Amino acid sequence: MAVGQRTPEDASAPAQGWGLNTWDSPWLNFKFLLGAGIVLLILLFGLVGPFFWDTDLAYTGAGPLNKPPVWAEGGLPEHPLGTESNGRDMLAQLILATPSSLKVGFLAAIIGMGIGMALGSVAGYVGGWWDHVIRTLSDSAVTIPALVVLVVIASYVQMTDTTAMALILALFAWPGPTRLVRSQVLTLRERSYVRMAHLSGASALEIMFVEMLPNMLPWLAASLTGGISAAILGATGLEVLGLGPTRVPSLGLIINQATTNAALVRGLVWWWLPPIIILMIIFVGFFLMTIGLDEIANPRIRQFSSTRRERTAAGELPPVEPIEDGTAGEEEAALEVDDLHVHYFTPRGEVIAANGVDFSVRKGEILGLVGESGCGKTTVAMAILQVVQPPGRIVQGAVRIEDRDLVSLSGRELRQVRWRDLALVPQGAMNSLNPVTPIREQMADAILAHENIGRVELEQRILNLLNDVGLPERVIDMFPHELSGGMKQRVCIAMSIALNPQVIIADEPTSALDVVVQRVVAQTLLEVKERLGVSMVMIGHDMGLQAQLVDRIAVMYAGNLVEVAPVESAFAGPLHPYTQLLIESIPSIRERKPLNVTEGLTHDLRDPPPGCIFQFRCKHVERICRERRPELVEREDDHLVACWLYEPERHALIELEEA
Amino acid sequence: MRGLTKEYVLQRFLMYLLTIWLGSTLIFVIPRLAPGDPVSEMVGRLSLDAGYIENADKLIASWKARFGLDAPIHVQYFRYWGNVFRLNFGYSLSHFPTEAWSMVSRALPWSLGLLTVSTVLSFSIGVTVGSLMGWRRTPRWLQMILPSSLAFTAIPYFMFGIMLIYLVAFELDWLPATGAYSRRVDPGWNLPFIKNMLSHAILPVVSIVLTSMGGWALGMRGLMISVNNEDYFLLAQVKGLSPARIFFRYGVRNAILPALTALALGLGGLISGSILVEFIFAYPGTGYTLYQAIISQDYTVTQAIANLIILVTATSVFLLDLLYPFIDPRITYKRTMR
Repeated sequence: MAVGQRTPEDASAPAQGWGLNTWDSPWLNFKFLLGAGIVLLILLFGLVGPFFWDTDLAYTGAGPLNKPPVWAEGGLPEHPLGTESNGRDMLAQLILATPSSLKVGFLAAIIGMGIGMALGSVAGYVGGWWDHVIRTLSDSAVTIPALVVLVVIASYVQMTDTTAMALILALFAWPGPTRLVRSQVLTLRERSYVRMAHLSGASALEIMFVEMLPNMLPWLAASLTGGISAAILGATGLEVLGLGPTRVPSLGLIINQATTNAALVRGLVWWWLPPIIILMIIFVGFFLMTIGLDEIANPRIRQFSSTRRERTAAGELPPVEPIEDGTAGEEEAALEVDDLHVHYFTPRGEVIAANGVDFSVRKGEILGLVGESGCGKTTVAMAILQVVQPPGRIVQGAVRIEDRDLVSLSGRELRQVRWRDLALVPQGAMNSLNPVTPIREQMADAILAHENIGRVELEQRILNLLNDVGLPERVIDMFPHELSGGMKQRVCIAMSIALNPQVIIADEPTSALDVVVQRVVAQTLLEVKERLGVSMVMIGHDMGLQAQLVDRIAVMYAGNLVEVAPVESAFAGPLHPYTQLLIESIPSIRERKPLNVTEGLTHDLRDPPPGCIFQFRCKHVERICRERRPELVEREDDHLVACWLYEPERHALIELEEA
Repeated sequence: MRGLTKEYVLQRFLMYLLTIWLGSTLIFVIPRLAPGDPVSEMVGRLSLDAGYIENADKLIASWKARFGLDAPIHVQYFRYWGNVFRLNFGYSLSHFPTEAWSMVSRALPWSLGLLTVSTVLSFSIGVTVGSLMGWRRTPRWLQMILPSSLAFTAIPYFMFGIMLIYLVAFELDWLPATGAYSRRVDPGWNLPFIKNMLSHAILPVVSIVLTSMGGWALGMRGLMISVNNEDYFLLAQVKGLSPARIFFRYGVRNAILPALTALALGLGGLISGSILVEFIFAYPGTGYTLYQAIISQDYTVTQAIANLIILVTATSVFLLDLLYPFIDPRITYKRTMR
């Protein structure tokens, strides 16, 4: 998960950074470039070879028989790689055979790709009956074993040249690209930028080539390189069996002639080994290109590999310095977050997602953590739960429950604390339940990981929990896809209270639901909290909902807490200019007010400015705001704010510094 | 019943029939599209050998009648289907009194044995390696070692086989190079034969396993990485489950589903994928039989094997389709709704 949260805008942005001219372009993938280099070298060998070597020597009787290469005993300088049993010069044969093997692969894969793109885009874009027919055909064509049909065809059809062979191989090269293009078109056409293009009157072809193709490119390229090597493999297979064109030299044909002439037994290594080596180099080249392109196309794989590389390069991570509990906050705190710093180590720099976040949750209260998308509130939640995903890492700070610092706990100790003391109601319950196991099992494994109880008791407990959140008992044996969004969210709530935890983190528990269901879920959460006396951190951006649910509210901006206050005083008299802005932006039915669009942009999170982080958007910005960072200070009763406006001495402070 | 709706089964079954029909029709059509026909070609070859054959036309006509090749194409097509259903493919042309089907059934056990063992081995090793490679909590030393198992992935298995034969069988003389068993042992359930048979199987199995497990591993790694980023995977961690349980129940359990589909296709391809390996190792399975049939232009055996392979592939995919709703409860919804 990146710093920013998933917002609808993310999904609609065209893929960024595919540009070929930037130095951090994903196309500059080491494996891809290495593979492409290898393939080019081999191609060069075949193309340039004829200018340096007499290819007429490739025909029968061109030289003496069975001569070893020049470096072996008995080798002749005029046949540097030796000759075979028909007197053909090996070097000349290889020079002729290599490009023809490559040609078959390229031709077959490109024809297959062309057919695939046409059929796939028709199926995906036009849909309906066309889609049905094309999908059924390509699905069953994939099932037909290609090599068998190829062999049967080859036994009947005398293939005179490589083009005929490529055409036949293309019969099996289209279903893969067809399925790929179809599924890509189906996902891309739902993206809003494609819809926008459609609404603005672009033709289907224009949309296909301008909006969709660039986004599909890495996938198509991976499919093409995979297809080329599959076609070369198929062609070589036929040639090795002696079923390919017999008049044109090809690498497979050389192997076939060598094996049928018992070259292995007779020790004529220079006959069968060189074509195998060239083929292996070709396959390794295409293989590297394919997995490189996979990484380009699938950012997750890329990220997985790169974070691992960075981790290995950096060696062991420095342990987080435990903070001596000197500043011990309030007595009745259920959860204390102390000077928490979370950084994301991206290739383009360190993103500071949480910068000294410091708050505590009192026993039995709901603390609302609010802020706009990307302000770091989910990062804070993940850091409390100790599941910050790489490349992110907690670099400093402590998270305490009952005086135990979760940051410094070992894996085993942490597992014991999890869920028993600290549970989560996840953001997007849609995807938070394992799709392939029934609800019973998912609730049971949370309980059984911490308690040892019998089957009957377990079942009764799960049923009670479902009952507590107002779900019918039959839900226990249902699968997540059989439940509505609101039901899934309530299953998650039931799961979170299974062990009576002290603290529950609710990460935007209602964000993906419609308004009516939102109410039900919020109501359920409140009931649970009242009954169990559990403490909660409620993360969200819906100020209206927060106003109704939470006891205190903590406002976050760009990784920093700017205001922490009881909900009444926060709404009645917000102190920080940002909080004021947030509260003004709550729509109201009674009065229509102009929407107050905030001017200015958030600063680059990699490089926070000196001074107040809100300075670029603040109306009241003064000189001190640009130079010194304001601390979070209690300005009214239980009302903390990080803003210079409430520091009467601010002018004196700055002058003092200058002196 | 959960998962298996009538509509779903029917849809899958129609798909199954369609696949068989497409494949077998291809086998029927291709020879008839090609210039020339088997009978004339054979008579042509005979006359080449003998110099001249009297009444060659009559000979061709009578042979065509004998094999039913004189009937109109649609009659031939229906007759062909009747034969396919009864697994009756006629006599082998090159081993005349033997029936084509009995040649196939003699070769079948060898292929099944060889390829079941190698596929199961390469699938299980590959999936294990891939799952570990795609998991964030795999120990560092293991993460360093695992990629080395991909070393042979890019090399086609038959080329690897040739090199193994040369190195292990000829140069080192450790294992037999070709065949399924030596002439000096009696086939049967006795220890010397089984030992002999196993020693012959090692090289082909090794060449298939070492070159194909990397593909499984890479695929599984990608699937596992995607699962790693799912919300339910994160929730499983937060629940305080043990790493082993998260790995198996939330990681592998979800990631393996697409790999199973590929395995079903692979199992079907068992009999076909073996052509080259069996050719290189002169292993007497269906692939080698198919090769020999093609070289000796034994059309009936060719047809029998090709149809068998199509049938087996389609059947294994169909069986997996029926099993799938139990493995992945979402499937009937997905397939019928999309």
